[in-house]
Amino acid sequence: MTDTNSVLGYAWPLVVSPGEEVTFHLSSAALASAEATLLRVRCADPDPDGPGLRFHQPGTSIDGPVALRNQPLRPGSCAIVPDGPALSRTGSLSLGLFLFPTAPGAGEQTILSRWRADTQAGWRLALTADAKLQFTVGAGGRVWRATASRPVIEREWIFVAAGLDAAAGSMSVSQTSLDPQAGRDTGCSSTTDGPRDPTWPGDTALVIAAHALEAGPSPRTAGHLDGKIDRPRLLAAAPDPAALRALSENLSPHPADPALIAAWDFSCDIPTGTVRDLSANRLDGTLRQMPMRAATGANWDGRTVHWTEAPELYGAIHFHSDDMHDAGWTPDLRFTVPETWRSGFYALRLRARQESEDPVESFVSFFVRAPLGKPRAELAFVASTATFLAYANSALRLDQVHAEAMLEGLIALSRDDVYLQEHRELGLSTYDTHSDGSGWCYSTAKRPILNMRPRGATLNYGNDTHIIDWLENAGQAYDIIVDDDIHRHGAQALAPYRCVITGSHPEYFSRTMIEAFDSYQRGGGRHMYLGGNGFYWRIGWHPTEPHAMEIRRGMNGLRTWEGEPGENALSFTGEPSGLWRANGRPPQRLVGVGFDAQVFTRSYPYAWREPARDPRVAWAVEGIDLDTPLGNFGLRGGGAAGLEVDRVEPTLGSPPHLLWLATADRLDYGGVPTLEELRTLHRGTMGDQNARVRADIAFFPTAQGGAVFSTGSIAWACALSHNGYDNTVSRLTGNVLRRFLDPAPFEGFDA
Amino acid sequence: MLVNDPEAAHWPVDPARLDLVEEFRRKPRGPHGDELQKLLHRMRWSGVGNRHVLIVIEPNRRWMLGRLPGRRGAPVETFPNRIFTSLAEAEWAVFVMRWEALTGQRIQDAERGPA
Repeated sequence: MTDTNSVLGYAWPLVVSPGEEVTFHLSSAALASAEATLLRVRCADPDPDGPGLRFHQPGTSIDGPVALRNQPLRPGSCAIVPDGPALSRTGSLSLGLFLFPTAPGAGEQTILSRWRADTQAGWRLALTADAKLQFTVGAGGRVWRATASRPVIEREWIFVAAGLDAAAGSMSVSQTSLDPQAGRDTGCSSTTDGPRDPTWPGDTALVIAAHALEAGPSPRTAGHLDGKIDRPRLLAAAPDPAALRALSENLSPHPADPALIAAWDFSCDIPTGTVRDLSANRLDGTLRQMPMRAATGANWDGRTVHWTEAPELYGAIHFHSDDMHDAGWTPDLRFTVPETWRSGFYALRLRARQESEDPVESFVSFFVRAPLGKPRAELAFVASTATFLAYANSALRLDQVHAEAMLEGLIALSRDDVYLQEHRELGLSTYDTHSDGSGWCYSTAKRPILNMRPRGATLNYGNDTHIIDWLENAGQAYDIIVDDDIHRHGAQALAPYRCVITGSHPEYFSRTMIEAFDSYQRGGGRHMYLGGNGFYWRIGWHPTEPHAMEIRRGMNGLRTWEGEPGENALSFTGEPSGLWRANGRPPQRLVGVGFDAQVFTRSYPYAWREPARDPRVAWAVEGIDLDTPLGNFGLRGGGAAGLEVDRVEPTLGSPPHLLWLATADRLDYGGVPTLEELRTLHRGTMGDQNARVRADIAFFPTAQGGAVFSTGSIAWACALSHNGYDNTVSRLTGNVLRRFLDPAPFEGFDA
Repeated sequence: MLVNDPEAAHWPVDPARLDLVEEFRRKPRGPHGDELQKLLHRMRWSGVGNRHVLIVIEPNRRWMLGRLPGRRGAPVETFPNRIFTSLAEAEWAVFVMRWEALTGQRIQDAERGPA
């Protein structure tokens, strides 16, 4: 049994050009060293029934032993405000904020603090392990606490006021429920003795949603909160709940108020990692581990669901104790990619204990792009990095009740899955929920990603390398281009190529990416879509952080969590998210077919349809018997049509010139239609009774000699290698590729 | 919030329906008739008795029985003595345990696995 995780790492940047440096950030708790080898990936899937693991080893200066160290991961988001004189003012102190706790009772959680855990000095507002608000003051070696008498309720807004009356030597904490009826009123207040005129610790950062473990402007933190905080205010005055409430209700507190220490407005600069202070002290803070912004505040009233229209209703940030978006590891290896290198899927292989019963073989992935405007081939294959990130470290099969029923059989965990079950600090995927049950809407590449590498889970990355191996086997020259660049450079990233292939599951697209493909196709480009469930979700990329994507799932589509009301616009861009089908660009409009169903019981062959005999597509079916089912073989369920499948639908945009060549429309009871395919609920919608549950193969010409060929099935890629690549799925794909690389226009279609 | 309820599957399992046991034994990987589909859904939705899973020992060749702990961060329980060399054999082994958990009755000749 191969140990795939005793050493883990990530490459930065995830995508490099020839001539640029990539750094490898590694960590191992168990190994002192490993043998590193840089490889270009042909096939990442170890399944012995397929091509098996296949690599090209170029030989590099970093090949050889690498010393390893343990670099911990520190999950949990917060905002850090470095110390300033205004934070050390002597005398009374009070704070007010709106709080929406999402995991009360799940351990102690700090809400707002200027507290050093190592010396137990400063002040701190927190939730206790039994979900009660507590205000703590530590000074001169002594600690005072005021604790609310009633626990808070999960996912109910409260207003919290707390503070110290330094003259009276008393301190208090109070909560007021915003919906105080029908059993939801937890209002209470508590006052106890406190210190008179304590001296606050110096050089201590103010932390929102956690507390500092140590001094300094960038401390390690603990006590991370699960929940939303809205409009926190800090005042140099004895606590007065009514006055504090008025101050928090006021969206524009007067900055010149001399008692106002800070008034943070999280509705400012939502796409960024900065939190703004409206006070005259300008105590701006920096977010760590990317908590969810554009969260509805306590004042959100449903008048809009777009934060850009009324940002003042989006003054909350949803912090999670398990947010993880930057491992922050120190690099262990650096490598400058030679100018002469081919673009490709690359990986650093790390081996140890090769002679033992438990040999270590772990991979760290990265991609070498073909530089913009400098193609080395007529064909480009797209590395679906947006999709790889969306699924990064998916724990769906570990956490979601529905997984075994959906997958129609026992869940088979890889060694990586077993590791992830125990090591949630890696950060999960956008298919998962945080520990507080809320959906994971961001995914980034500055952390180890277990399922985007050789030997990893086959969905997406592994399946896509079957297409790469097919190209290699055919001796076909190709470049690798990546989603990140298609977003950044738009159609320019595609334009140099006669033909572009998107892989087995290109599911996540920003608006810029969709428009790039649209422009490419309209400008004479040829697009082969060899997958299923493509062009499905609308995402955003972070405006400045590389390799960071966002999805808001909303309330439609095949979603593993439902977006909260009002929180379904992208914080990175202000755009809507959700399905492209709901955003005016159904996949059928771009590639002729669009997602309609899942089928995990088994995969199926396609039956040819009459348009396959149309002489205008004779080049596609050359050498193929149209009276024999297509693809009754394959590594995923024994057929070429399976897992997730797409269908032709003119009302969603399949174009008039489309030739619907083949269909797999007998998917039996395991064919389950996606939610947006159903108008009302009724029985009989599964594949055994419903011909709209199917995979379709389609071709259509586009403007200026362009064309699109789509196979509508994730399983397609894993049928290519059957019988040593000598089969009809491979032949059809090859016929189309050959024709798509031929610049001759497609004749016989009227303008 | 939209959440899934592991206790929601409530199709009543009839311990007398040994015909369904035999149908599963013949074809653990399907296709299955309507009533066996319902029985399997009942078993799979809740993962009766904490969810049993497989741990891949050799890709597509050997699997070990495991059980999810039902709590994030806790280790997967492993059963190193229960190794399977086919998915059908593994499905049958877990079916046997779930049948007993749901009906309180053992399958008499459980050791006779799928053909």
